Amino acid sequence: MNAVTPQALAAIRAGDRHAVARTITAVENGDPGADAVAHAIAPHLGRAHVIGITGAPGAGKSTLINALLGEFLGRGQRIAVVAVDPSSPITGGAVLGDRVRMGEHGSHEHVFIRSVSSRGHPGGLSRTAARIVDVLDAAGFDTVIVETVGAGQSEVAITGLADTRIVVCPPGLGDDVQAIKAGILEIADILVVNKGDLAAADATVRDLHDMLRLRRRTATPVPVLKTSATRGDGIAALVDAALAHAAAAGRGQRRGSRAAEADEGAAAVGRGAAPRRAAHAQRSKDHDAQAAAAIHRLIARDRFVAALGIRCVDAGAGHATVSLTVGAAHLNFNGTCHGGVIFALADTAFGLASNSHGLIAAGIDAHITYHVAAQAGDTLTATATEVSRTRKLGVYRVDLTRGDGTLISSFTGTVYITTRANEPGPG
Amino acid sequence: MNKPFEPTVQDAAGEDRWHRDYAAGIGVDRAVTNRSGVAIKPLYTPRDWSGEDFGDDVGYPGQPPYTRGIYATMHRGRTWTQRQLIGLSTPADYNARLLGIISQGATAVSLIPCNSVFRGYDMDEVDAELLGTCGVVVNTVDHMDACLSGVDIGRTSCAMNDPSPFTLHAFLLATAKRRGVAWDRIRGTSNQSDYLSHYVANHMFFRLALPAARRVLQDHIQFCNRHVPQWNPMSVVGQHMQQAGATPAEAMAFTLASALQVADDCVARGMAPDEFLPRFTFFFDVSLSFFEEIARFRAGRRIWVRLTRERYGAKDPRSWRFKFHAQTSGVDLTRAQPHNNIARVTVQAMAGILGGLQSLHTDAYDEALSCPTEFGARIAVATQNILREEAHLTDVIDPLGGSYYVETLTNEMEAAILRSMQLVANAGGMYEAVAAGIVQRQIGDSARRFQETIESGAQTVVGVNAYRTEEDRSARPSLPKPDPQRMQEHLGAFAAHKAARSSEAVARAQDALARAANDAKANVYAAVVVAAEAGCTHGEICGTLRREMGFGHVQALV
Amino acid sequence: MEFRPKVLVTKIGLDGHDRGSRLVAAHLRDAGMEVIYTPPWQAIPAVVKLATEEDVDVIGVSSLATDHLIVPKLLAALRAAGLTDVAVIVGGIVPDEDEEMLLAAGVARVFHPGTALDEISAYIRNVTAMIRAGRVAA
Repeated sequence: MNAVTPQALAAIRAGDRHAVARTITAVENGDPGADAVAHAIAPHLGRAHVIGITGAPGAGKSTLINALLGEFLGRGQRIAVVAVDPSSPITGGAVLGDRVRMGEHGSHEHVFIRSVSSRGHPGGLSRTAARIVDVLDAAGFDTVIVETVGAGQSEVAITGLADTRIVVCPPGLGDDVQAIKAGILEIADILVVNKGDLAAADATVRDLHDMLRLRRRTATPVPVLKTSATRGDGIAALVDAALAHAAAAGRGQRRGSRAAEADEGAAAVGRGAAPRRAAHAQRSKDHDAQAAAAIHRLIARDRFVAALGIRCVDAGAGHATVSLTVGAAHLNFNGTCHGGVIFALADTAFGLASNSHGLIAAGIDAHITYHVAAQAGDTLTATATEVSRTRKLGVYRVDLTRGDGTLISSFTGTVYITTRANEPGPG
Repeated sequence: MNKPFEPTVQDAAGEDRWHRDYAAGIGVDRAVTNRSGVAIKPLYTPRDWSGEDFGDDVGYPGQPPYTRGIYATMHRGRTWTQRQLIGLSTPADYNARLLGIISQGATAVSLIPCNSVFRGYDMDEVDAELLGTCGVVVNTVDHMDACLSGVDIGRTSCAMNDPSPFTLHAFLLATAKRRGVAWDRIRGTSNQSDYLSHYVANHMFFRLALPAARRVLQDHIQFCNRHVPQWNPMSVVGQHMQQAGATPAEAMAFTLASALQVADDCVARGMAPDEFLPRFTFFFDVSLSFFEEIARFRAGRRIWVRLTRERYGAKDPRSWRFKFHAQTSGVDLTRAQPHNNIARVTVQAMAGILGGLQSLHTDAYDEALSCPTEFGARIAVATQNILREEAHLTDVIDPLGGSYYVETLTNEMEAAILRSMQLVANAGGMYEAVAAGIVQRQIGDSARRFQETIESGAQTVVGVNAYRTEEDRSARPSLPKPDPQRMQEHLGAFAAHKAARSSEAVARAQDALARAANDAKANVYAAVVVAAEAGCTHGEICGTLRREMGFGHVQALV
Repeated sequence: MEFRPKVLVTKIGLDGHDRGSRLVAAHLRDAGMEVIYTPPWQAIPAVVKLATEEDVDVIGVSSLATDHLIVPKLLAALRAAGLTDVAVIVGGIVPDEDEEMLLAAGVARVFHPGTALDEISAYIRNVTAMIRAGRVAA
């Protein structure tokens, strides 16, 4: 399957079960035709509401999803589920058992469930999952649920491709609540305490409310809902909350394949086949060019950058390189380059890279380490790369080198991503 | 425990000499453990067990600690019951087979229903090819009556293999009423009534949700206590778990834990321990691990009397007695060279008999393949007759008692059993442990470990991974499938019955059943009996209860 | 993508003994395959839907009692749904005369009790390779 015939595309768009399944397989395996498919369906994306559901094992996610399926079906929807199960790190094998735990609704004709193992995907799991979601979006499903287990980096990254992210907690976590706070809470649009019939559930709801209050105020409040999937309590309210979130945040606005690829692009290099890389490179190039133009417009507005003599060397989506030649005005009382200048250089690269996606990103945390002093006359280069980017937070690493390639300083910064554009919209 | 054994000077010399001779002659010795993981030595001596705690640990049959047997006379006074579990096709076919084996010496009835009945369906709700292949298709009182035609149910013990909601028992009671036999004369067991074992081992009965099955069992126990006093409503099952891969020690542990769970539930219902404990019976598989099985049954008896007295304060000795039925384990049988299974069944039967069982089912040699043929069933019954009357296994009570090996192994099996019971206790009891999947995972691990020993060849299975031959296919028995003509007739008669009966009476009984299910204070089983008498079918009764109380959903745990 | 057969291990019909199917599922996972495992008592339409959506290479039906007698119905349902290149294998207790019937109906292979697990996974690997080669050629 290299080119996509009109009939094949029509079959996918009609939601033909067999065609959709075969297309997903091609995407999963990175078959030669996968890129052609991605290209063919690209114009037909953006209709599905993509919901990411994650949480610790034991939270009853599968039972909850089964209950959600029932609710969505009752509202006349067609729903697809992508269930990610962990694979053995040693053998690569997996028992994909989640769909069976989704009980009776899995057999309904308006439900489509695909199980995906967590390993062995060229380009990374996020990328594969994003492409699978795209296929299901193009196939006309109203809602696509992506279910992952746990809070590992790839699981968190996957939820980045959702419009609405739900994190499910079992009641009575105690110390585990603290562990969860570290990763998952940051990404949740909706928090759910399942097994709500248990005594500890109310206390857990209170704990989560408390933790949310301690965090920085977010643009939209994060609701904490209690459900009992086995009894069917709270399910309608959860669906309402998800739909409300989609209405406010927009559906189809998910980061989609491109950003997921950027996350794992570095890892994918060296693993993928040439044709895939070429297609990837082309898409990246277009996106990059847009981002580069935007960055140049931004830096042109920055007076401090101009004052220091910082130049933008290279820029693109999620990355930026700036440089500066150390002059007399940059020296400290010891006669070496002032640390604040180095910091400013790193911070500039950081700011450009984090604002390259079009939304205002405000720095909230930054650290710098100085390894080697810089001297007058050195040309310092700061290169910022995107380490992690979720809906609300981005983390960037900046390496500063001097002309001979020596690493003189390392910088890490975190931004809070707002929902406001950093440029006026298209006129 | 035991006082250290002090050998005489000559004995010590003999002991040393044996150690030297053994070491010199054995070459490379191998470490041996039994299926429960207990290390087994080449020789046992008074050093391992010297009889010092004879009174506490061994004692005499018919009194605590019951290690040697629950009755004073055991098989010498009354031989074990020969209870062959059978089920086949239509009621008429079953009846013919039943009367046949009774004439050959079987002394009790056991009825295995068709898989469709196991699942709670009527015969017209499933694929016709699947009907009656492993059990008899009983959906109504008429069918039960036909199954037991010519059997004096006021005098013959009947085991119905049927847990919640116990429709087969209800059909039996209705049959008794028809025949003018008072319910207080009905003797037998609700075999395999242990809902927990079905849930754990994904056994075939899985009609009601776990909490529903729990409640209906309690209702059934209360009903029988009051109305069918000679009936044993509680059969706690170790067989399913052992067939699913539990080691003999685990199977005993989880079974005892299930018994404790049901007993706790009875106490919570306000029943006095001596009211229900005498009605508890146990059902175990007996594997080929000969001494291990004997030891674990002896240990089981010892543990049970301690639990009933200490945990429940039972005063009636009938509450303390660990009564059990054993079936030779089909898991040990092979498809290859099937006649070898006769030898296997013989060893298993001996282990059960010497282990002190109360009743025994011996598998036919072809039972691993399918429902046994008449030829195979006859040999199975003859095996028991030979062991009893030619090998005279009934002459001596607990003949292996006092063996250094068997007494040591009994102690070690007891320790292993108690360890597994602690696991369950830590989880909050058997119900919680099962709901959380803890027991299932444990059993799955044991199953995998055992499979590895076979895959690697460490455990020989004759004809399978060793001693293989070119098989003569004609020697392999074929599957006796029910006569399709007779099954069609059975289906036709069933349809006619449904058309002819009073739909009003049925509707009223179903309503009453549904109401009982939703009334926490009602006795659901009593409503099941009424429904059976009104002509409701098995599928209708199960269907109503499923609708009101929930279907059993299977955990998919690999 | 690394070569990983996708296998459905299931039971249809009325029997509930699943010790064998669980052992096979675990073994296939340890052999590096992706296994979708279902508990017993699956309805045939549900199996067909699952096999379609998951695009499995092989369906392994574990059968004791006489559940194998309805495997031809499963094969017919698979064909009707357009799944013509999925291999169906049956493991468990199958009398000789029924084995011939099953093979004639389209079952790829019958595995009897006592078969080494490695033999089953090796067979699945081979048949999957053939199926996938056939799909690419199509």
